[in-house]
Amino acid sequence: MNRSDITVLGISGSPRRHGNTETLLDEFLKGALEAGGKTEKIVLKSAKFEPCRGCNACHKTGSCIVNDDAVKILESAINSDILAVSSPIYSMGITAELKGLIDRGQYIWAQKFIRKTRFYTNEHISHHKGVFISTAGTGWDKVFDAAFPMITAFFNTLGFEYFDNVIANDMDRWGGVKGHPSALSDALITGQNLVTKLKKI
Amino acid sequence: MSLKVLALAGSPRRHGNSETLLEWVIGGMWDPNYVEIEKIALDDADINQCKGCNACEKLNKCVQRDGMDILHDKLIAADCIVLSSPIYCMGLCAQVKALVDRAQVFRSRKYVLKLPVVPAEKKGKRIGIFLSSAGQNWDYVFDAAVPSIKCFYHVLDVRDKDIRYLMVNGVDGKGAIEHHPTAKKDAEKLGVSVIADLRERIN
Repeated sequence: MNRSDITVLGISGSPRRHGNTETLLDEFLKGALEAGGKTEKIVLKSAKFEPCRGCNACHKTGSCIVNDDAVKILESAINSDILAVSSPIYSMGITAELKGLIDRGQYIWAQKFIRKTRFYTNEHISHHKGVFISTAGTGWDKVFDAAFPMITAFFNTLGFEYFDNVIANDMDRWGGVKGHPSALSDALITGQNLVTKLKKI
Repeated sequence: MSLKVLALAGSPRRHGNSETLLEWVIGGMWDPNYVEIEKIALDDADINQCKGCNACEKLNKCVQRDGMDILHDKLIAADCIVLSSPIYCMGLCAQVKALVDRAQVFRSRKYVLKLPVVPAEKKGKRIGIFLSSAGQNWDYVFDAAVPSIKCFYHVLDVRDKDIRYLMVNGVDGKGAIEHHPTAKKDAEKLGVSVIADLRERIN
């Protein structure tokens, strides 16, 4: 495998452009780029897709009957080496936008568990790293807990190892991510280190 | 004086397991002389996602004009708000999460603008019911949905102790809940007991 070309996809799940979470994602991607990764960012707000209809047609066919941006985004995600999924915390969870995309991954789940046409080896999973990036207004330390299981489900479906979190709470007190003492540098370093790490595999 | 029940079926799939649960609960509430039940399928309700603009913190209303304009008043008028959601990927389905996020306008009203959400006579009297179904059999499959549901009810002036839950796991295919040993009985009993509870609170 040519490890000189590590692809890094960042998905921004915030409806608000250039807010705290997207800024953190940008720093992560900057770090990944500096370390030699090939980076791309998709902003869900600018994409056009429906939430999952729950029709389960994919359980029979392994593909989604709704042909919109969600399928394109999920296919780019699955073909990346590093996937950074970001969302602010709204009402103790990820945004409806990001949940909408995750739910649309049902056809990939169906390929894996129902159609049995998709299988990830342990080697594949260890070579595909997922990172969750998030911010929350409140300082409550449990504020990210309900987001993790949905992110875990998403990475499992796509064949990624859930490698790390770049999360920062208490945004209201810090006056945004730029006022936070360590979040931006954490994001940058995580991006750099992850690309460097994958290159060595 | 009658009781108002607003029943929101959150699944994109009509008449599936979570909506059946909701039907059973409102069936248990059935009393046409006293209980006024309105059921709305979120799929038909035209609820956009929250834009995160925070304008509601100043305006006390949402800048978006959609089905939430109608639902807003109904959410305030109800004595009982029933909400059902299937579990998709360990969480609320995106359609229900969109509704929960749009309740931000109530959060702004309550915590930022410090204005009343419900009329004084209803404060501390409302009951919320969360109903859910999940295909997986894991006992923790609902854990990540509950915190967002708590947010939804809290900002709507339903106290934490006044939220009732009926969450049924291990029901996957359409109609699977019909074969569940206790779900129907539990749901009907819940409907009966919530109306009895409200009757006492309101009268």
